[in-house]
Amino acid sequence: MVPRRPAFVPDGERAFDLFGRFAGEAHIRKGKDRMAGPQDLNALADRAVADIAACADDAALEAARIRYLGRKDGEVTQATKQIATLPAKDKPAYGAAVNEAKARIEAALRSRNAALHGASIDSTLREREDLTLPGRPVRIGRLHPVTATIREVSRIFGTMGFETIEGPEIETDYYNFEALNIPPGHPAREKWDTLWVSNPLGDDPKLPLLGRTHTSPMQVRVMEKRQPPIRVVIPGRCYRYEATDAIHESILHQYEGLAIDEKLTMADLKGVLYSFARQVFGSKSNVRFRPDYFPFTEPSAEIAFSCVICDGKDPHCHTCGGDGWIEAAGCGMVHPDVLRRVGYDPDRYQGFAFGGGIERLAMVISGTPDIRLFAQNDLRFLESF
Amino acid sequence: MLIRVPLSWLRECVDVTVSADDLAHRLHMAGTESKGIERRAWDKIWVGRIAELAKHPDADKLQLATVEYGEGRRKTVVTGATNLKVGAIVAYGEVGAEYLEGHTGERMVMKPKDMRGIKSEGMVMSEKELGIGEDHDGILLLDPKLPVGAPLSEALGETVLLLELQPNRPDCLGILGIAREVSALLETQLREPERADLGRQAPKALDVRIEDADACRRFAVARLDGVRIGPSPEWMQRRLVAAGMRPISNVVDITNYVMLELGQPLHAYDLRDIRGGALIARQARPGERIRTLDGVDRSLPNGTLVIADEERALGIAGIMGGEDSEIRGDTTTVALECASFEPRGIGRTATRLDMRGSSGSAAARRFAWELSPDLVPIALARAVALLRDHAGAKLAGTVDRYPRPRPRTLVRMPYGLVRKVLGIDIARDEAIHILERLGFSGCTIERDILLAQPPVERTDIAIPHDLIEEIARIAGYDRLPARVPDGPLPLIETHPLEEFRERLRDALLELGLQETVSYSLIDPQWLGRLTPDATPIAPEPLRIQNPTTASQSVARPTLRASVLDTARRNLRHRGGVALFEIAPVYLPRKADLPDERWTAAIVLAGSAQPDSWLGPGRDADLWDLKSVVSGALAKLRVGAVGEVQSGAPGLHPGRSERRGSADRDVMTWGQLDPRVADLWELPAATFVAELDVASLHGRVAPPRVVAPPRYPAAMRDLAIVLDEPTAYAAVEEAIRAAGKALVESVSLLDVYRGPQVGPGKKSFAVRLVLRSSDGTLSEADVDRAARRIEGRLLHQLGATLRT
Repeated sequence: MVPRRPAFVPDGERAFDLFGRFAGEAHIRKGKDRMAGPQDLNALADRAVADIAACADDAALEAARIRYLGRKDGEVTQATKQIATLPAKDKPAYGAAVNEAKARIEAALRSRNAALHGASIDSTLREREDLTLPGRPVRIGRLHPVTATIREVSRIFGTMGFETIEGPEIETDYYNFEALNIPPGHPAREKWDTLWVSNPLGDDPKLPLLGRTHTSPMQVRVMEKRQPPIRVVIPGRCYRYEATDAIHESILHQYEGLAIDEKLTMADLKGVLYSFARQVFGSKSNVRFRPDYFPFTEPSAEIAFSCVICDGKDPHCHTCGGDGWIEAAGCGMVHPDVLRRVGYDPDRYQGFAFGGGIERLAMVISGTPDIRLFAQNDLRFLESF
Repeated sequence: MLIRVPLSWLRECVDVTVSADDLAHRLHMAGTESKGIERRAWDKIWVGRIAELAKHPDADKLQLATVEYGEGRRKTVVTGATNLKVGAIVAYGEVGAEYLEGHTGERMVMKPKDMRGIKSEGMVMSEKELGIGEDHDGILLLDPKLPVGAPLSEALGETVLLLELQPNRPDCLGILGIAREVSALLETQLREPERADLGRQAPKALDVRIEDADACRRFAVARLDGVRIGPSPEWMQRRLVAAGMRPISNVVDITNYVMLELGQPLHAYDLRDIRGGALIARQARPGERIRTLDGVDRSLPNGTLVIADEERALGIAGIMGGEDSEIRGDTTTVALECASFEPRGIGRTATRLDMRGSSGSAAARRFAWELSPDLVPIALARAVALLRDHAGAKLAGTVDRYPRPRPRTLVRMPYGLVRKVLGIDIARDEAIHILERLGFSGCTIERDILLAQPPVERTDIAIPHDLIEEIARIAGYDRLPARVPDGPLPLIETHPLEEFRERLRDALLELGLQETVSYSLIDPQWLGRLTPDATPIAPEPLRIQNPTTASQSVARPTLRASVLDTARRNLRHRGGVALFEIAPVYLPRKADLPDERWTAAIVLAGSAQPDSWLGPGRDADLWDLKSVVSGALAKLRVGAVGEVQSGAPGLHPGRSERRGSADRDVMTWGQLDPRVADLWELPAATFVAELDVASLHGRVAPPRVVAPPRYPAAMRDLAIVLDEPTAYAAVEEAIRAAGKALVESVSLLDVYRGPQVGPGKKSFAVRLVLRSSDGTLSEADVDRAARRIEGRLLHQLGATLRT
């Protein structure tokens, strides 16, 4: 029934019992000729101590232990069993001899064991390995830089009380545009050239679908569902009808922030983004606001982060183009009409929104020269992160 | 929209007291984005005259042009242009001159070139090569009065601000609008250009009719007699060129000049071509066609507003005039149209006719923004003054139809809102001063309410927040402090599904897989390549109606194609891949947004372990994939993943599994069908798995905390022989059922098929670890449990023990 012996079962006796049995039998045969006496045990102990001292390794030492002290067939064990066969008057002397022999053998085992162990450590310490040899090949899993950047953005805004939420990538015209003050035909639509989506189960002319051109529709979806105070950050994929080049992608990721309360001001917006820049780029970094236009914020601003690559010192810097500022995101105070549309009272509630590109941020952080590298997924590129 | 603002023109409207660089920066920081400053060096480029033209002896399409450029200098160049005549004044670039390559726009340095055996010494240049326009169809023909031999920079040189406008600021489409910004920023004087008095007299034989007052908001026309067509003055031509337009003739140039100066497009007709004596703004009739100024014969879609006479359409309103009413060399009476249209209609029509964008119609680009109808009489009066001065025109009456005049807005802002929105105080005096510099009128503060009337050109100002932005941007956004917001923090909701998804991502990373993020729009042909017979493995996808490329024209309904593509491309340069992607797939729903279902896809192919000095490498196999999947699921405590469903399309029929419920797959994994692998140029041994994140999340078991056991374990090894079809899982299940709580673990040590067990049979060697939580198991306890397990295996699975 047992095809293999489990390695760790403490069953050493059996492994060596064949050996032990021979020694034991020889002794018992001799014992039939005359009665055993304490002098035999002395001789036995002498022999055992000599044997043990001659053991060259742990295996030989263990074999010697079993030969003499093994629980079944060890010579000392056999001798102990003979006590019963002795006349009562001889028993105490014989017993004492057995104990003495046993003690001598155990001491010899201990001392030999210590000597062998010390010798083995000494020999190990003499070994010299070439540590420049390569280790065993391992596979290391890495996050894609887009995911890593999204997590970083969520983490940082999380420290400022912003909750990360997500929303649909395939959106309706209403949430992507109309609810954000961009009705059909509005010239600002040119800013967000759109990929229109057709449903194989039938298109509803009242519900035109599109790939969201920004994460801003989630501003509206969140406000429709929640009441202030609101602080959320929304990372996610967006779509643009756009030719791609080293800095433009038609499928990209953005992060959107929204904070609504009774007293949030544009100075608070600047503070949040300043805090973000410091956490991403270090405490020397700075933010710059300049006026910009988004139909769903008023006033609106463009955020630039100070260039961490050249500190504004390299007129030919590839990252900032030489002016020391990296345009990173758009932002502004949420337009009163947007608030009104979701049922908030714009006289009571106000707040800010901001939105930036994940790949853009990842490019600046990592010095990636071409945005298209992110979606190519060449492992040589991904493994460099 | 990018506009070009020649500095000399701007200076005519406002005093510029700072350098061009400073000016651009100030404008940029006040909201008018600066895209750079163009300074024409035009080194080694001269005003030249074509002295001789000859045919190239060996090439029909090439000519030899001899150019003289002063002081007796003459050079011969080879050119393919067809618009050259002897005597034409051109820009001649010597060898060594910088130019922009006509097709790519790349910056180049001119070198002597051998063209079909004839050496070309320099070149005669197009607009595009000079960097002042897009035209590369012919050589730029210059004003004949320019001095031959002068450096081109002296003759045409100009410092030009390149400004990117936002669509809420149509007032800045004209130089004067930019000048108004400059005046506010630098606190310098604004000068409005001279305008003629339009009088009140209606013209003879010319009237205006608006048939669609929604589409045409205002329509004015001036009749100008005694017009002499000729070239426009040299200064005007130079400014037009600097601003990016081509000079044509005095009348046309003046309409363009006014458009660039004030933002308002105008159109000039030869009065002889207006039949019936009226210009009419009306909707195009069904089937109506027109041949536009660019020579294209166009059929007019429904909803197109046209400008017509009593008989036919003369032009597409706000977009482009017609060829048969344009100004000709012998025109003497001009009808000058100046109108205002509903912008969305213009934008829609321009899009339909493909005349939007930078290569489309300059008028349409402007009319698509909310231009103020109040500009109409201003622009008309300006054009009349210029026509009087530079085309000999005499005003013979005007008519101005404005059926629904736009009410002037008076914005009322509680002053406290400035602080409430910006977070800082701005002094009332300063705010009023800023608004006045921007041209706002009637600015006062009464009982804490600021009143201000925006200038007529500003159509973007309507609510108090608009005033706050005006005040803030001129005061400077730099004045805003950066403050950490206080106030109540919202309760944070939990997002268990998203958190689970991120833990799945981490689990796969820990198992050594690389994460990828690929395009969510894919090539529909990929979906046909996922099964040998092109049967789809996923629902019909959402389609992109206007894809930028066919390779991104459907929203992926499965991740499998994406990860196979990523694997395939990487296997071109490496021995093996182990990667995954976690992303939504898009499943269409009727009359609703699609189901964006988060999915994880895994692919292993090629080498799993490379050769090394520590041992030979090996290729990935099915069991690597199973380890990854079961490892991740174990880490996330996902329990049973559902029943096995029949068939996993696209995968090897005997080495794959699909699990889940009848209506939703939870997990599909196995070896890719080798025929599919061929289609993707992948190794036959390619392994894929797809996991439905939400379904897995629904199957997470609560943690079962195990304290370290107090009593020792016993171990038994079993070797059993079974019929081939019996699954290992049934063996393990039987062992656990029979051994009850005593069975701590079951591990498979060996699978054997061969002569020792005979055909149709297999043998499993299994190690059991038995342990009781109540005490140390005796030898007898272990024997009893082993006999019970053996009995169950014999009885339930027909197993025999191998000894």
